[in-house]
Amino acid sequence: MDTSNPAVFVNGSLLRMYVGRRVRAVIQAIQPDAGGVTGKTTDDHQLVVKGSPPPVRLTNFVEIIGIADSDRSIRAEMWTNFGDTFDTQNYNQLCQLANGEFKHLFI
Amino acid sequence: MYSGEFNGASLFAGGGFIPSQATSAPSSSFPISKDRNVRTLLPMTVKQINDISSNDESSAYGDGVDSNTVTIVGLVCDIQDKEPQFVLLVDDGTGQVECTRWAHERMEFNEVNQIVRGMYVRVYGHLKSLQDKRSLNAYSMRPVTDFNEITSHFIECIYVHMYNTKLRGGIITQPQMTNSTINTPSKDFQAIPSNQNSIDGRMSIDQIVLNFLRRPECLAINNGIHCNDIAIQLNLPIDKLMEVLEYLNENSLVYTVDEVHYKSAVNA
Repeated sequence: MDTSNPAVFVNGSLLRMYVGRRVRAVIQAIQPDAGGVTGKTTDDHQLVVKGSPPPVRLTNFVEIIGIADSDRSIRAEMWTNFGDTFDTQNYNQLCQLANGEFKHLFI
Repeated sequence: MYSGEFNGASLFAGGGFIPSQATSAPSSSFPISKDRNVRTLLPMTVKQINDISSNDESSAYGDGVDSNTVTIVGLVCDIQDKEPQFVLLVDDGTGQVECTRWAHERMEFNEVNQIVRGMYVRVYGHLKSLQDKRSLNAYSMRPVTDFNEITSHFIECIYVHMYNTKLRGGIITQPQMTNSTINTPSKDFQAIPSNQNSIDGRMSIDQIVLNFLRRPECLAINNGIHCNDIAIQLNLPIDKLMEVLEYLNENSLVYTVDEVHYKSAVNA
């Protein structure tokens, strides 16, 4: 991760607020695509992840950290396997809290 | 000091501390903190750590809670091996902090050796501050294996922050919190004082009222503070506050001249 830029917790709906900024999101069920992979955010929005995934098998859930390209895509800098089971509802709630009244604890 | 094998005495060298015979090896591998000021363990984001005011008395005074033991969860960006000192740079997405781990025993080395760059880790440590730069003196670190722990940690940071700022009422260290306190219904935290009848819940409210009355500005008022003012300041229902004040009065921790104004019986 960049030494000075924080990465904001986002889901599909929040991504548009941070275009051009460093974000982090958990994506489910990655499907390889031309130029990247496509997955589903924790609030069921489709997201395109640009860049090359690491040379390991991607699990069902993957955390992507990178720059938000648009309201539907992220240019990935880091990929972290989060396993095949993950509580997306909790993560989604965290995204909302971290961007809402508790934003000052995160960015 | 490093003997190459588990030696209970070396963990406590310099102190007159004898490990219990019943202590099992895994738990003994975590050196007990010698810092006698440690009272609470706070989950924090690195942003919160960096935001801790350096003007406060202790080196770590976050959300009105005096503690220097914290836990963080983040990605390991860098590891410097300067054996027996290992310095990890941990980034939790809100900022980066250096975590120093000293390893003298085999188990401590094993603990550090399981951690590699790019991995999520949970770190427990003591906050240190040097020329406004915060770092952690880690006494325990382990890889995160269930990634729900990341979500759980940040939610816990939010919860503890809310608990320490709203329940303690009035001790708000960040201006943004004031706005959100007004705008956000704090039903959950108002429910705690009125519904919780357990001893733990009662003691924390007693302490909150006591701490409030021991503040210099309250002690300076000769006749004490009107109970209505205390209720407003601490955002407590008046009947609950009166219950607490009666209890404190019976235990000679506060006194009253007219059953309406209360003052701490102990100077801060």
